[in-house]
Amino acid sequence: MNAFLYFRPQSLDEVITLLVRYGREARLLAGGTDLLVQMRHDLIAPQVVIDLKRVAELRADVQLLDGALRIGALTVLSDLIEDARVQQYFPALVEAASVVGSVQIRNRATLSGNICNASPAADTAPALLIYDAQVNLIGPDGRRTVALRRFFLGPRKTVLQQGELVEAIDLPLPREASGAAFTRLTRRRGVDLATVNAACLARRSDGVLFAFGAVAPTPILVPVSDNRLLVTSLDAAIRRAILDEVAAHTSPISDVRASREYRLAMVKVMAKRALEVALQRLTAAEAQLSPVA
Amino acid sequence: MSASAENQGMAQWVGMSPERVGGRERVTGAQRYTGDIRLPGALHVKLAHLNCGHARILNVDASQALRLKGVVAVLTADDLPKPMPRFGPVYNDRPVIADDEVKYFGEPVAAVAAEDEDTALEAVKLLRIEYEELPGVYTIDEALRPGAPLVQHPSIRAADDPFRQSNILNEWCFGWGDVDQAQADMVIENVYRFPLVTHFPIENLAYQAAPEKDGVSVWSSIQHPYVLQRAIVTALNLPASKVRIIAPDPGGGFGGKGYPKYEPLLAFLALKTGRPVRLALTLEETFQAIRRAASQIRLRSGFTADGRLVFQDIEANYQLGAYADIGSRVVSKGSYVAAGPYHAPNVRIVGRAVLTHTTPSTAFRGFGIPQLSWALESQMDAAARQLGLDRLEIRLRNIPAKGETVIPGDKPVDGDWRMLLQRAANAIGWGQPLGKNHGRGLAIGMKNSASASASFAIARLLQDGSLLILSSTSDMGQGARTVFSQLAADELGIPLDRISIVMGDTALAPFDASTSASRSSVFMGNAIISACRQIKTQLRQMAAEAYDMAEDCIRLQEGKVICGERAVAYDRLIRDYYGAVRGEVIAVGTARGKYLPNHPLGGQAAFWEVAAVGCEVEVDEETGEITIHKLVTVTDIGKALNPRQAEAQDEGAAIMGLGHTLMEHLILDEAGRIQNLGALDYRIPTIKDIPLEMETILQENGDGPGPYGSKGAGESGILAVSPAVGSAIREAIGVTIHDLPLTPEKVWLALQEKRAGENSFARPLTDPKSYVE
Amino acid sequence: MEKNLIPISITVNGRRVELEVQPQHTLLKVLQNQLDLIGSKECCGEGECGACTILANGRAINSCLVLAVEADGWEIVTIEGLAEDERLDPLQEAFLKAGAVQCGYCIPGMVMSAKYLLMKNPHPSEDEVRQGLAGNLCRCAGYNRIIAAVQLAASEKEAA
Repeated sequence: MNAFLYFRPQSLDEVITLLVRYGREARLLAGGTDLLVQMRHDLIAPQVVIDLKRVAELRADVQLLDGALRIGALTVLSDLIEDARVQQYFPALVEAASVVGSVQIRNRATLSGNICNASPAADTAPALLIYDAQVNLIGPDGRRTVALRRFFLGPRKTVLQQGELVEAIDLPLPREASGAAFTRLTRRRGVDLATVNAACLARRSDGVLFAFGAVAPTPILVPVSDNRLLVTSLDAAIRRAILDEVAAHTSPISDVRASREYRLAMVKVMAKRALEVALQRLTAAEAQLSPVA
Repeated sequence: MSASAENQGMAQWVGMSPERVGGRERVTGAQRYTGDIRLPGALHVKLAHLNCGHARILNVDASQALRLKGVVAVLTADDLPKPMPRFGPVYNDRPVIADDEVKYFGEPVAAVAAEDEDTALEAVKLLRIEYEELPGVYTIDEALRPGAPLVQHPSIRAADDPFRQSNILNEWCFGWGDVDQAQADMVIENVYRFPLVTHFPIENLAYQAAPEKDGVSVWSSIQHPYVLQRAIVTALNLPASKVRIIAPDPGGGFGGKGYPKYEPLLAFLALKTGRPVRLALTLEETFQAIRRAASQIRLRSGFTADGRLVFQDIEANYQLGAYADIGSRVVSKGSYVAAGPYHAPNVRIVGRAVLTHTTPSTAFRGFGIPQLSWALESQMDAAARQLGLDRLEIRLRNIPAKGETVIPGDKPVDGDWRMLLQRAANAIGWGQPLGKNHGRGLAIGMKNSASASASFAIARLLQDGSLLILSSTSDMGQGARTVFSQLAADELGIPLDRISIVMGDTALAPFDASTSASRSSVFMGNAIISACRQIKTQLRQMAAEAYDMAEDCIRLQEGKVICGERAVAYDRLIRDYYGAVRGEVIAVGTARGKYLPNHPLGGQAAFWEVAAVGCEVEVDEETGEITIHKLVTVTDIGKALNPRQAEAQDEGAAIMGLGHTLMEHLILDEAGRIQNLGALDYRIPTIKDIPLEMETILQENGDGPGPYGSKGAGESGILAVSPAVGSAIREAIGVTIHDLPLTPEKVWLALQEKRAGENSFARPLTDPKSYVE
Repeated sequence: MEKNLIPISITVNGRRVELEVQPQHTLLKVLQNQLDLIGSKECCGEGECGACTILANGRAINSCLVLAVEADGWEIVTIEGLAEDERLDPLQEAFLKAGAVQCGYCIPGMVMSAKYLLMKNPHPSEDEVRQGLAGNLCRCAGYNRIIAAVQLAASEKEAA
């Protein structure tokens, strides 16, 4: 690892000033589980590393706001997974965050970092996408909020402007019964990067949302307007045809993890499996809400 | 050479599983491995390599690097004697550092020695290396193509070597009977491939070296210190007496730490700088330094209608790397037993060691056999299917009984191999109903153990009656210290905690050929027992003289010398014999596999290492993922000297076998670069990838040549895992795959092809890279 | 190379130490090179193998993926800090009793991960042990015995 200047600012103002001053030479350090690996392999060699963990305004917890859960920029995945409210409202996110790296990694890696790293295969991204996560940014020009579905621009590329950073991620609370699930395919059962990952959210009002990772330059969201998918007893051939259309939105490549053909086929399998679980959960959620006869 | 008879019935420790010697240091983090040793004033070394597999080095400009504060030396080929010193366990073909050409991705072009690691790393980046990338051969097919670039210049090969103008390092032909005249009812032919895989010990390769007043000391995480000593002697032209090898216990070896790699380079650097030097490779560099030979095996087998083997016609091409290392021995020793543990009346074997511009392949647990077992045992299944026979039955029909010949002119069958198969079959419920997409598989693997080789052990009964054993075996995880302590404790009646085993220093412990081929418990075990028995003989003689008694009135029992009515402790006898200034009792034990110059391998196998594997798997038809519900190994161990350690070795070997069966393969690009270099994309089994249930059965028939009738084990578990799993997959979903590893994608692809109307897809002999990664 | 040294203060195995570290040095390197705590091991250097696992403020982390400067103010426990005087931690005893130690190189990290697992979940099921140790590679593949060791330690704790 190359030598660099290390800053440990105490306030967001200081962070932004440093980011503006050093521009592309600076990298933000939260959990470090992606940053340090890239630096070790000389994929990046920043001259300045700005450690965010002592910034007073940045939080490392989950807050319940009016109509949303707010995940602080420094909240690590282990804490996210264990939060009862996240478990209650966003089970697919818990499932996704639980397979990011090992226990040791999840004890360091932050949700925000997982998103800012902008890996097309990031496991939390599909789950956040189906839940319509909103990313709160702060920069030299103040604050703005960007829907996660508009946040990714390409592999390792985001809408973050020079001087900007993520302050928190908001998850709007569900307003109706819903069922969601996360699923993925890996080369082995232990810790692994996803060959394909998928999340699915099923709601009566606006149908089914799918999101996928590792099958396009960015994690992608694919809404399905065809409400027939919500029918558990739907004819398999019809479901397959709809899922084929869903898969057509992906554009996987061949790499060391899998071929394009395999990924294309697995998108459909993962979508189907996530849908099955999401529908089961939807039914269960509706049963809980319906009045006792 | 069995040392069992005298001991039967008096073993207190043998057959038990006492706490591992060295275990405490390992659970507390106190164990110092090679890289953990701090030599005062040591310089840190980093290697420079090129980003391609084959290139001509035009110029190395180190001027900028040398100007960096803290850089002490940069060593390139220009700093070494001319011609370039070369070394290797079989051929002296490996240069100390890349000489004119880089022949594999990762071959060091220059070495920087600096005051600290950061500086060395920065200096490597400041080297200006001009080079011209050359076309290379990265697969067996590319290497064998007419007109292919030559990996080794003919000038470094023997003048009478018929293959010197090709990439064939050597070709081994074995056989008996007459394959061409043999009449078979059914003939099947297939090509089976085994991928490039790497050892991935958790301890990366690490080396240190220090100048001594008229020689050099070298520290290495090496399994065979005396093989390393020979390499340093060769490369530096020093007498062995001036070359001290210190070999701390390796943090896992698996064959990958058997043979010298960059130690001569470190030794030259130490002499050049006059200071100790330290080089700890990264995992990525370790991948670039060691791997197993890949293989492509064409197998044509003839059977009678009732499933008896008529002939085996075997062409086994092994992919070696840029230098021979021990690769040619892997090919000769492996292909020698290519017909496997079966009666095959007519056999023709051609084994080729093919050089390529890749990391030199080296020894790896199983030493050429897992590759062959994959082919042979998959072929037995194919034959069973063709003939409508049960897969267990076809094996039982062909397996020789104890005492029968398996390879003409070699050691007869020394175990009950039929029983191994039957026990494995029983343990997985062979023939019982199966769930959907479930299948069972069964396979057997046979390896020829060490042949001509020698082990020496020194036993010193010290003045207080405690015992020191000096042995050059490496305790790399198998627990050699523990087993040796058990053997010595029982032999001399000395408590375990009063015995120390000193290893890993050629200035202290005598010669041992190697810690390989599952030979240590047999060879070194016998040597230690022999040394202990000589101590006993000396003790009787000493007692006879000291107490003026006839020698035949003196016995040894429970750590005492029994002289008539008197029981004398060892320390008392030493005092009574030598007087108040005292002395000690020393003996040298040896064990040797006889060298037979006319035997194709230089000697007969000391024993056959054989294990059967059974498994039940489930295949996810949609994704191709495989779940191993149960895996059983049954090893013909003769006698388990330490059952828990033996089981752990077999279990570990089986899981390692699951690695190359299911997930491990190094992927090269068109320039010979490893695409999955490192732990992120080279997958090995984790704790979540092991079978849901495992059973490790040790077959103890007391029929081995080692102490108490033991045979070596530790490799047995890896030999036949792949074909057993492949067989189970076939039963589960009806597809046959001929190329390892059986990744979810490959299984899925096979299912697609089956659905498209094919039953199996034996591919033509083409570039393995044609499979799109 | 100009050395940019940053003072940090950490508590390692109950002992407070003041150090000057370079920003690019990982905590693992500093433990090994500046404190001679060689029990935490480096293999992959990228958080895949777990050989460098330590407890930092009560949580298991990969010390190869943390800069030493980040650790300023932390409480750290390494493998060297588990045994008290000569008395091994029950987990260490259990690893020995269960025969879970082979070459030993992964063991410090494995024990530290297991320690964290038992802190969070004193009686893990076999599946939970697999989950908790999924970030620690053992190439000797003593996994079954390692699972047995963790469960043995858990059961002995119950008995005590």
